[in-house]
Amino acid sequence: MSAREVRSIGQAGWGRTLGAAAVSILYFFPVLFIILAAFKTRQDILTWPVKFVFTPTLDNFVSVFFRVSVEGGAAEATGFGRYFFNSMFIGGSSVLLALVIGTAAAYGFSRFPLRGNDTYLFMILTTRMMPPIIAIIPIFVLFRIFGLSGTYQGIIALYTAFNLPFSIWMVKSFFDDLDRDIEDAARMDGSGEWRVFRRVCLPQIYAGLAATFVFAVILTWNEFVFALLLTGTETRTVPVQIVRTIGGAMGVDWGLLSALETLFIIPVVLVTFALQNQLLRGVTFGTIRR
Amino acid sequence: MKGLYSGFTALAAASMLLAGTALPSPAAAKEIVINMAAPDWLPTRFMQEEFNRTYKAKSGNDVKLVIDFIPWPSFYQRVAASLSSGEKKYQMIVTDSQWLGDFVEGGHYLKLNKYIDKDPELQAIMADMHQVLKDTSSSYPYKSTNYYGFPQFPDNLVTFYRTDLFCNKTERANFQAKYHRALPCYYNEWQDVDWDEWGQIGEFFTRKKGAQLGNGVADDDIYGVAFQAGKGYDFSSMQINTLVWDYGGDIWDETNTKPASGVVNSPIAVKAMQKYLDLLKWAPPVARTGQMDIFVVQDLYMQGKVAAVVDWVGVAGPVVDPKVSKVADRSAFAQSPGTRRPDGSISRWANIGGQPFVLTTWNSEEVVHESLEVVKWWLSTPTQVNFVKHGGGESGMLSVLNDPAYATWAPFSRAFADNLQWQKDIWHIPEFFPLLTEQQEQFDKAITGQISARQALDTVAAFQDKMLREDGRIH
Amino acid sequence: MTHIQPLSPPPETIAATPMRRSARGFLGWLMAPERRGPLLVAPAIATLVIVNVFPLLWSYGLSFFNYNAKRIAVPPRWVGLANYTDLFSDADVWGRFVNTAVIVIGSVTLQLIVGFLLALLFAREFPLRRYLLMLVLAPMMLSLSAVGVFFKLFYEPTFGFIPRLVQEFTGQPVVILDTPVKAMAAIVCADAWMWSPFVMLLVLAGLVSVPKYLYEAAEIDRAGAWRRFRTITFPYIRSLLLLALLFRTIETFKIFDVPYVLTEGGPGTSTETVSVYLFRVAFNYFQTGRASALGYIVLFGVIVLTSLYLYAIQTRRSEQP
Repeated sequence: MSAREVRSIGQAGWGRTLGAAAVSILYFFPVLFIILAAFKTRQDILTWPVKFVFTPTLDNFVSVFFRVSVEGGAAEATGFGRYFFNSMFIGGSSVLLALVIGTAAAYGFSRFPLRGNDTYLFMILTTRMMPPIIAIIPIFVLFRIFGLSGTYQGIIALYTAFNLPFSIWMVKSFFDDLDRDIEDAARMDGSGEWRVFRRVCLPQIYAGLAATFVFAVILTWNEFVFALLLTGTETRTVPVQIVRTIGGAMGVDWGLLSALETLFIIPVVLVTFALQNQLLRGVTFGTIRR
Repeated sequence: MKGLYSGFTALAAASMLLAGTALPSPAAAKEIVINMAAPDWLPTRFMQEEFNRTYKAKSGNDVKLVIDFIPWPSFYQRVAASLSSGEKKYQMIVTDSQWLGDFVEGGHYLKLNKYIDKDPELQAIMADMHQVLKDTSSSYPYKSTNYYGFPQFPDNLVTFYRTDLFCNKTERANFQAKYHRALPCYYNEWQDVDWDEWGQIGEFFTRKKGAQLGNGVADDDIYGVAFQAGKGYDFSSMQINTLVWDYGGDIWDETNTKPASGVVNSPIAVKAMQKYLDLLKWAPPVARTGQMDIFVVQDLYMQGKVAAVVDWVGVAGPVVDPKVSKVADRSAFAQSPGTRRPDGSISRWANIGGQPFVLTTWNSEEVVHESLEVVKWWLSTPTQVNFVKHGGGESGMLSVLNDPAYATWAPFSRAFADNLQWQKDIWHIPEFFPLLTEQQEQFDKAITGQISARQALDTVAAFQDKMLREDGRIH
Repeated sequence: MTHIQPLSPPPETIAATPMRRSARGFLGWLMAPERRGPLLVAPAIATLVIVNVFPLLWSYGLSFFNYNAKRIAVPPRWVGLANYTDLFSDADVWGRFVNTAVIVIGSVTLQLIVGFLLALLFAREFPLRRYLLMLVLAPMMLSLSAVGVFFKLFYEPTFGFIPRLVQEFTGQPVVILDTPVKAMAAIVCADAWMWSPFVMLLVLAGLVSVPKYLYEAAEIDRAGAWRRFRTITFPYIRSLLLLALLFRTIETFKIFDVPYVLTEGGPGTSTETVSVYLFRVAFNYFQTGRASALGYIVLFGVIVLTSLYLYAIQTRRSEQP
């Protein structure tokens, strides 16, 4: 029986809620500013004192999806739905892929150490330390050679590789923490290696996997530079659309930028909220014991 | 043109035969896609829409212009990465004029002389193009007759001002009493404004919250003037170059016979830059941070915090759009200030803005041919007129500019057209980016008060000297 | 992976696995127990080698050449270690490293403090906790360039709510980004605001994992708050704090978007970080060889830092019971 079960969090009442609410709202204020700005006109955004009471407008959200034609003809679609789908699809697949490949590797590193195991692990981590700007041109050339520029496969492969170091390190720490006796007992009972992995080890680290998933999603969701350079018009993601609003005939289009950001963080907020409990348990799990 | 055209048909026919397809017929429509890299904003969006609506290839081919709209802040990066990786994705590219040298030397931009020589229509276009744009947006080296580009959107710096303030009776009387000059209200009054008077305007309209302003009371602190003074990209050089030229100095020795020291940091240049710094006194406080770039200037003006600003025509459109601008109904445009010469006339040299578009070097003759047809369509009078009227753009073609009605097509067209003859450009040489960056850094230090105008220009001169010598430009 | 073992192997073969090779040819050889480790790790290594290591080696090679990636017709020229020696003797480069170090130290310290305090606040169960926690986590979900752009607005003397709020008390316009020190502080605050929640999450996880009986025991011992923290709480969050320190240092060392958008390195070059400078050298000057060399110097610096942390984690861990 693990001591973990006995751990429990202290209780506090509405008093703590009040204090926490004050701090949270203060901390959240810049984000709140952005969300409110999404419903404001430019004049209302750029005014002091900050307006909390105003006539909300949906114009910014409309221009997320439709662009008024220059000569005043019918509005044309901006393709935002497509970009949003691309972001979800590319982000989702690469994070899942990294999780699958990373979990396999983490299990290998944890249970069947290679000669120079730690060196491999460290080398893997170093690939994340390099400023990505350096790799831009070689990666561009690589993509050209394999014809990956503008394809889903290319950008997914790239993001998968970006997420791997983090996933491997985190998941490995979860495997390291598991009680080996349980596995040995399972083996004694006649379980094969696959079964030990699938039925004994994996279920124990679900929370950890969820935590890794959330972190990777947050880190991938906002990637801009490679999205800009390596996606085509069909595979472009939302961060590129976001930067579109930061220069042009009107400098920063504050309202549009805010509307894009507001829509854009919704999926991450939902994922984080849904996995919140796992997130906390998961993180702990990997690093506390020993 | 005709001979060339049939040559192409024959070529296309031969290739189709080789490919074993059906019998060739001159009318066989072939799909040709021209990918063009362009910054994402109104003038290029207009180009795409207008193309889709009006373009019909004379060759009978199914020509498609597909513009890859790239966010402005990352535009250079995207284009440079594409070109240097050998991606060969774009057939045409919208480019800042100062990039010409760099990418021509890199072997990416196509020299067009041989096509122009063979094509009377292109010759007519070159003859119709304003000389300033031939120099700044087409030729490399600067002012040579090697042609590479055509104006997609030519731009220059104009004054945006508040008519409710400058044409206000009380304000005009007060200004007259204080400075013994007329406060400029009408276009021709503004044509006589020099940088000294610009400073007086700055001082005059700097008001505290609650002070009398026009017919009402200032609802917030109001500042007199603003112009670009930002560290990013070229957001101070464009204005400082303008003043240096106005005062009769120069930003380098174009002939490369003299060392940069002595030219760049000449007493005249130092005086011009000092004037620029002095004028910032009447600008909103953000000027002290070196962050007052062209967009901040625009926002300050649109929110009614400044009486008059100098900014690009390219960002003037939103100023008259009531949806985003508080002063849409009381804004007018004029030529930007200059320096008074001994005879009383005004010298108003300025740094040209806007972008030419070019062809790339790796395309088949057929694609080049179709691309040049697109060029002709873009520079044709109906397209250009539409562009000025509806696309937020301006034209660089004399036949369009000389139309008596040109000044009425957009609120800022008159100022643009009058300014055009006064435009020069920053260095077009491949070293422009290091030169520009160094200059922006030093200017930023001067703007934020860390060093003096003299120190800034001395450093810039030394850097320019070293770099141009190392690259064998100054001997 | 499903091929590693048949679904229901006879029990006795488990013990005898080492003997059980041959017979099944290549597949059997491949599936032998001693190859389990390599096989599991192989896909990850392969992905990393193709996508990450190849470009890294490419730029490593380029760091010994004088090369401009825009000049495809001009072949790279071998210059040996010249790029490295140039960089090491360039005062500008050291200035950028100092700027980066200041931001890393300032921001990571602030993140640890703020993250820790926030975690303490949320370490109890109280009504609405789940929802309030989301508010605090939100900053790190924003896009980096949006944070840069909006903080630039928040700091702007005429439109920004921060200087305007201060102005209400001082009466004078407040300018934040005009001096090197204030500009640096502004970057540190924006970055720390965005990433403190990350630290909070790690610390919070540590705090909620402390077994309750330890506190109960401390209660009986009448241990003071500070002692309780030092002897019970801290050991549980120590390794998580180190992990937070490790990840945040690596990431902050590469900080690019926030200074690039917020101050553009200004005033002058006083807030230009190594990454921003690197971007200039690589993408404005296109000194591809020199940029690659600088990239490797950065990598080396980060490796040294990380090794120190990892060493610290290892020793701490072995100290723990």
